[in-house]
Amino acid sequence: MKKYIFASVTALILVCLGCDLEKEIDIELPDYEQRVVVEAYLEPGQPLRLLLSLSAPYFEKFPIFEGQFIENTLVSDAEVSIHYNGQTFQLNNRLIFDEERRKIYNYQHPFVVPEDYDRSFELDILTKAGVRIQASTRLLPPVPIDSLVVEFREQDTLARLLTYLTDPPAQDNYYRRLLHSGSLLNQPEQDFTTSDQIVEDILLFGTGFEYAAGDTLISSIYHLDIDYYNYLRSVQNAGLANGNPFAQPSPIISNVKSDSEKAIGIFTGLSYFRKEVIVE
Amino acid sequence: MIRSIYFLFLLLWHSPLTAQDQYTLSGTVSDGRSGETLIGASISVPALNIGTTTNEYGFYALELPAGDSIAVVFSYVGFQPLQRRIYLSSDSILNVELREGVELEKVVVEANSFREQLRSSEMSVETLSPREAKLIPLLLGESDILKAIQLKPGIPSGAEGSSGLFVRGGGSDQNLIILDEAIVYNANHLFGFFSTFNTDAVKDLKMYKGGFPARYGGRLSSVIDVKLKEGNNKKLSGTGGLGLIASRLTLEGPIQSGKSSFMVSGRRTYADVFTRLVNRANAGQPGFNPIPNYYFYDLNTKINFKLGEKDRLMLSGYFGRDVFGFDDDNFNFDFDWGNATGTLRWNHLFSNKLFSNTTLTFSNYQYNIQNRLTGFSFRVGSNIRDLNLKTDFYYALNNRHTLRFGAQTTAHYFEIGRLKAGSDDGTVSFSAGQNFTGLEFGAYFSDELRLSEKLEIQAGLRLSGFQNEDSWIVRPEPRLSGRFNPSERWALKISYARMNQYLHLVSNAGVALPTDIWYPSTRRILPQSSDQLALGLSYLVGEALFLNWEAYYKKLGNQIEFVDGAELFANDELEEEFAIGRGRAYGLEWSIEQKEGRLQGWIGYTLAFVRRGDFTPIVPEASFQQEGYFSPIYDRRHDLSVVALYEISDRFSANATFVYGSGDLRWLPPGRFSFQDVYGGEFKSVVPHYLERNNYRLPPYHRLDLGLVYQLKPKWGESDLTLTVVNVYDRRNTFFIYLEPEFAKVEDEDGRTFQIPERISARQVSLFPVLPALTWNFKF
Repeated sequence: MKKYIFASVTALILVCLGCDLEKEIDIELPDYEQRVVVEAYLEPGQPLRLLLSLSAPYFEKFPIFEGQFIENTLVSDAEVSIHYNGQTFQLNNRLIFDEERRKIYNYQHPFVVPEDYDRSFELDILTKAGVRIQASTRLLPPVPIDSLVVEFREQDTLARLLTYLTDPPAQDNYYRRLLHSGSLLNQPEQDFTTSDQIVEDILLFGTGFEYAAGDTLISSIYHLDIDYYNYLRSVQNAGLANGNPFAQPSPIISNVKSDSEKAIGIFTGLSYFRKEVIVE
Repeated sequence: MIRSIYFLFLLLWHSPLTAQDQYTLSGTVSDGRSGETLIGASISVPALNIGTTTNEYGFYALELPAGDSIAVVFSYVGFQPLQRRIYLSSDSILNVELREGVELEKVVVEANSFREQLRSSEMSVETLSPREAKLIPLLLGESDILKAIQLKPGIPSGAEGSSGLFVRGGGSDQNLIILDEAIVYNANHLFGFFSTFNTDAVKDLKMYKGGFPARYGGRLSSVIDVKLKEGNNKKLSGTGGLGLIASRLTLEGPIQSGKSSFMVSGRRTYADVFTRLVNRANAGQPGFNPIPNYYFYDLNTKINFKLGEKDRLMLSGYFGRDVFGFDDDNFNFDFDWGNATGTLRWNHLFSNKLFSNTTLTFSNYQYNIQNRLTGFSFRVGSNIRDLNLKTDFYYALNNRHTLRFGAQTTAHYFEIGRLKAGSDDGTVSFSAGQNFTGLEFGAYFSDELRLSEKLEIQAGLRLSGFQNEDSWIVRPEPRLSGRFNPSERWALKISYARMNQYLHLVSNAGVALPTDIWYPSTRRILPQSSDQLALGLSYLVGEALFLNWEAYYKKLGNQIEFVDGAELFANDELEEEFAIGRGRAYGLEWSIEQKEGRLQGWIGYTLAFVRRGDFTPIVPEASFQQEGYFSPIYDRRHDLSVVALYEISDRFSANATFVYGSGDLRWLPPGRFSFQDVYGGEFKSVVPHYLERNNYRLPPYHRLDLGLVYQLKPKWGESDLTLTVVNVYDRRNTFFIYLEPEFAKVEDEDGRTFQIPERISARQVSLFPVLPALTWNFKF
């Protein structure tokens, strides 16, 4: 009986303490000037393509109807070109929807990106409003996954996945680890970036004992350059800071340059290794 | 020629009474009931218009003319003044015991204390006696002397969840908090709601905001000097209380009556008893998330020996812990942190004029986070250990010169970001972390010079330095303060202090967390420095109404901020995440204090500005996008505190505290964008775009706390029931704001549904509503 009295008194106290401690308020944020957002990935074997959009003031309502979305969010009529190996490719302003990957691009050129780790690629953009944006990048060779190991726990029917890879010793390396169950279109099970600072030579990515027989697990490791690593982390930190009073907000660390910082975003090569395994 | 210069020198050096022989009267002033020495007790000779006060160890020395019968008056707040007639024929020792004022529960008229303040050459200093601190209602009925002193001006009153002290624009690492001369690195329990100081065990707390005497060094913005009680060396006595969430007990008594004493003081919260019961009652129920367990405790111990007339030996220790734990079937999380300090102190009287204090202290602060998932374990922690040896001399040369000099050396040992993780079977393991050692030292000399009755200056020089691996640095710190009394009721004060700080608290945000890291100065990270100039004006109205104005200007050098996107976790080169810049702070402080009659208390108001800027990353490639100067989050423009203590009757007294402050600043994103990401990455429709730092000012913070004390008056001692209501009108002050997108479901032609953000709302989280509490306090 005493136990229940204690419990209910505590619960009452806690409920009282918890009630109404959160509420919606009206705030006025400082004026915000829209920026051009560049999302440009060079993937060996894929054509040149990128997404050019606009940022918005935080409280601006979202244009949820298709027509409005394109007008208000995407940047049209910009001159976009990529220089590589002495050639200049003018990307066309055409809205494309990649059905398989469910991604959209609004500038593209049929030139297929070669696996060239020696030469650099330069991006040059001039928007209708006169904003000039430039960036430069180089492809990185992917770091292969050595093995995927499925391990079952003794007392259970659930397994975990261990992904092993060898870290190239010569330079500082940065990675992004993605793990999907079923399909790449599903929400990732794991998505984080890391550097090789804390490891000697073998990198191991693990999971909890969560997967049953028949599950398809897709393990991807992206090899990032420092620009892409900083960009991904700043995007992640910016998202985390909202809602966490102890987190340090982060501005976006971009590798695109423009006058008066009118542009943010990333221009980078995509270098990844993907392996699939079915749990059995 | 030489002889005349010699005589001239003597004339200038000695007081005008050189015609007669002078002898020194010295000794200690103590509490008659417990034998505790009294700090800052006044010894005055009205007929000659000279006087002095006891130092931190209760010792005084006064030069008096021989032969004549002189009346010497000893007084201290809360005690009956004592007059003795002295006939000096040689240097003499006079130890005096004062008896407490007749009515104990009232705050006795403190005319002397205001007059002492007018005559002191110290400025920018606040004191609070434990007696006053207990009258101020605080969170959940627990009186807290360190939280109470924040109600004095110049010290922004702690907003909820703010454990850092931001004094005159200084960061939360710029406060030197010492407990019996040992450094306390993190004086907080429960993320800042309570301090680590148990008011029952504290004898004296003094807080300097500027005009730092030369004997203090190592931090830029404040010095909080806490002295524990020595222990009642006459009879066994105790104090304690039983409260809603915590209880405490202090026992003190003689080991050998009149010669040695002990004191033990402990405190523990017990919210975890309830949460554990609730968790057990609900274990196994689906959807039930166990409530994390939290508790803290602290323990102060002290023993004190009088070894003859000239020596005293003291040993004291503090141990405190916060423990936070979460237990689930698959997941296990333990977080604990705390301080431990130890002090061995020896006081020696070389002569009637020369008093020395030699101390060996040990200090340790650490935190540990342990995490267990099935099959994996993870530990991260930090540890800082200090060993400090110091010696201080107090030399009452004559009535014009009081000299202080001394030296200290501290060996620091840091373990930063110590990470150890791995799987149970040992296939995976990694560890990271940095170890540092450093040697910090200081030597000082100062003279309290009474040029005339109206003019007194304190001039000093401190030489401080730090050694870390191959880097050595030594810096001079001039200290100067002075007071001028145009009349008995007015005081004009000025001070200048140069401070250096060799240890830096690297924290991720304005809200100081126990996981914040202390980092030493190195070849690349130079010590922080500050120069502060302060001006003050004080006026005494009647006998017990005191008005005080102060203005300050402070320049801060070598300030540290993190670069954008700093990687703090498991980083072996943490200093590469730093950017170095400058700061400046200035402001005005007003206060009115009343200590007579039924209604007593004070009103304090501060107008303050602080800016930081010109930050350059240590590693040039790192990003620090903020240009120029910006306000840190603690740039609180206005701060008002009103404290009122009212004696209703013999048994009842009431107290009220009202605080009002401009809202702190927050860094909010003015813009947002969408991030499509690569194939496999999740589309993020709202990514905040942060630009200017600390661009949003929260709504003003204000709160009213009321307390009612009922004296029970039992035969065996004293006891009272205290009812406290914190946040009487239920003001929901902002703890933090977050921006939440609201989603709408949209379907495409293929029947797939998507979550599309429709609008964003701003939401505010507050920490607590109106909170009543009942505490029973006792003393025997």
